[in-house]
Amino acid sequence: MESQIREIHQQLVDQKISCTALVQEKLNLLKPNSYNTVNSLLENLALDKAKKVDEKIKNGEQIGLLEGIPFGVKDVFMLQGTYTTASADFLKNYKAAYTATAVQKLMDAGAIPIVKENCDSFGHGSSSENTIFGSVKNALNPELVAGGSSGGSAVNVAKNYTIFSIGGDTGGSVRQPAGYNKVYGLKPTYGRISRFGLLAYASSTDCVGPITTSIEDLRIVVNTISGIDVKDQTTYFSEEISEESIVKSDEVKTIGYFKNFIENDAIDATIKSDFLASIEKIKAKGIEVKELDFFDSEILIATYYTLAMAETASNLSRLDGTNYGNRMEGKNLKDTYSITRSENFSEETKRRIVGGNQVLSQGFSDDIYLKALSIRDQIAENFENDFQEVDVILSPVTPNLPPKIGDSLKNPLAMYLSDAYTVGFSLGQLPTLTIPQGTATGIQLSAAKNNDELLLKFANFLKEVI
Amino acid sequence: MSNLMTVDVLSSIKGAKPSETVSKLFDVIKNAKSSSTNFTSKNHQNAVSLEQLRDDIIIESSNLEKKIIIENFPKEKNGYLVVSKVIEE
Repeated sequence: MESQIREIHQQLVDQKISCTALVQEKLNLLKPNSYNTVNSLLENLALDKAKKVDEKIKNGEQIGLLEGIPFGVKDVFMLQGTYTTASADFLKNYKAAYTATAVQKLMDAGAIPIVKENCDSFGHGSSSENTIFGSVKNALNPELVAGGSSGGSAVNVAKNYTIFSIGGDTGGSVRQPAGYNKVYGLKPTYGRISRFGLLAYASSTDCVGPITTSIEDLRIVVNTISGIDVKDQTTYFSEEISEESIVKSDEVKTIGYFKNFIENDAIDATIKSDFLASIEKIKAKGIEVKELDFFDSEILIATYYTLAMAETASNLSRLDGTNYGNRMEGKNLKDTYSITRSENFSEETKRRIVGGNQVLSQGFSDDIYLKALSIRDQIAENFENDFQEVDVILSPVTPNLPPKIGDSLKNPLAMYLSDAYTVGFSLGQLPTLTIPQGTATGIQLSAAKNNDELLLKFANFLKEVI
Repeated sequence: MSNLMTVDVLSSIKGAKPSETVSKLFDVIKNAKSSSTNFTSKNHQNAVSLEQLRDDIIIESSNLEKKIIIENFPKEKNGYLVVSKVIEE
């Protein structure tokens, strides 16, 4: 199977390239920062690690598959001793005191982190424009947004500046930029990968998600970072996904798609026709296709944002400038808190914090917050019923093409609506994968909980079909 | 002091006001057909069983971790970490 990781591994083993030269090449590509993907380069750390890999190879020692492979890290993951800014003024000088489990597991396997990547501040955005490091530019057309919030990570992979990157997906933040930049992006089942060391946005949907150029690379990375972690007690045991298992595609007999996602005025005409053409190609392979009913996009967006804002208001209440962050002194403690928070959070982050506190406050919580939780349960039940009928649900990743840089910031509602097709699967905590095929912004595959393997399998099948 | 707290106070953000865009999202929930507010937590069963809880023991941080935590502290004076006076109102 096609795999950059395997290809580079072989070149390292055969001594056709040195790890130092490989890492240096990637650092050189990242240094000009032409697409605003870089928050900080991890030059010394990366070159030190590369040198050790080269010594091992020189001494005739075996190296692991990920050993010496350069990767990128969205700047919301802790990596001890490196700046972890969340692309926000608040944390622009903050250094991580410890390392996120997912990043640690990759480093334990020998992979080399080379860059902390630009993103929407605290994950608050769908375009990677809500950042102090400049808007991330789309890999295919630099006038367009990269998508978000893991925009820097998707662009680095698409431009081949990193072999893979680790993003975070709360409501579509890996899948949507993967679609906008034509790479693979997986939001695994909630709890498959530890969230320890990922700056919390909305804890009940936050997921760690790899971005790669191939299905095999996804498989390798997911296997490496999955598993139980005592530091995140929502994690669960998952079986390793074998290479052989994803080559066979006979398990998928029936697929479904939400007809209300396709039959509405909000979807771009070419995305709609390309998606339906892909469905016809799948049908032609003898797979049964069912049209499914689902909640209106408006309800999905409102439910997701209500809950995400409530959770982010709570999660970000710890940022007050007392122990860390860009403290701004006021006349007393409370004044210090509010000046620090007013001056250091972006407009979008403030909008979400205020919305979250509003929805959690007396008089609002019953009518809105608890009702949103109830709708979320209904959404999850809807999915459970659907997966009794179909093996995989397909949908476009986004209703529209990537907007021009600058347009999303003017219209936050339009930005929220761009998440219409991704947030439902987040609320359901389902494994969902963007593949760079089928429509201009890709296609999303979703399976029942804990069935991540089936997605890779079906994605592999679709490579030749659509 | 009144029991009613405005969003700027709740959020510790000066001058914060509810956003029109966000209010529109809340209206969608208010007007949604579902009348139930009894969520069953079916979708939120991510907690571990008692047998799987981690041991309740103190784990000492490494010296490097302690050093970075101190480095991150916003203000230091004569070897002390400076915070605002707490007793006010």
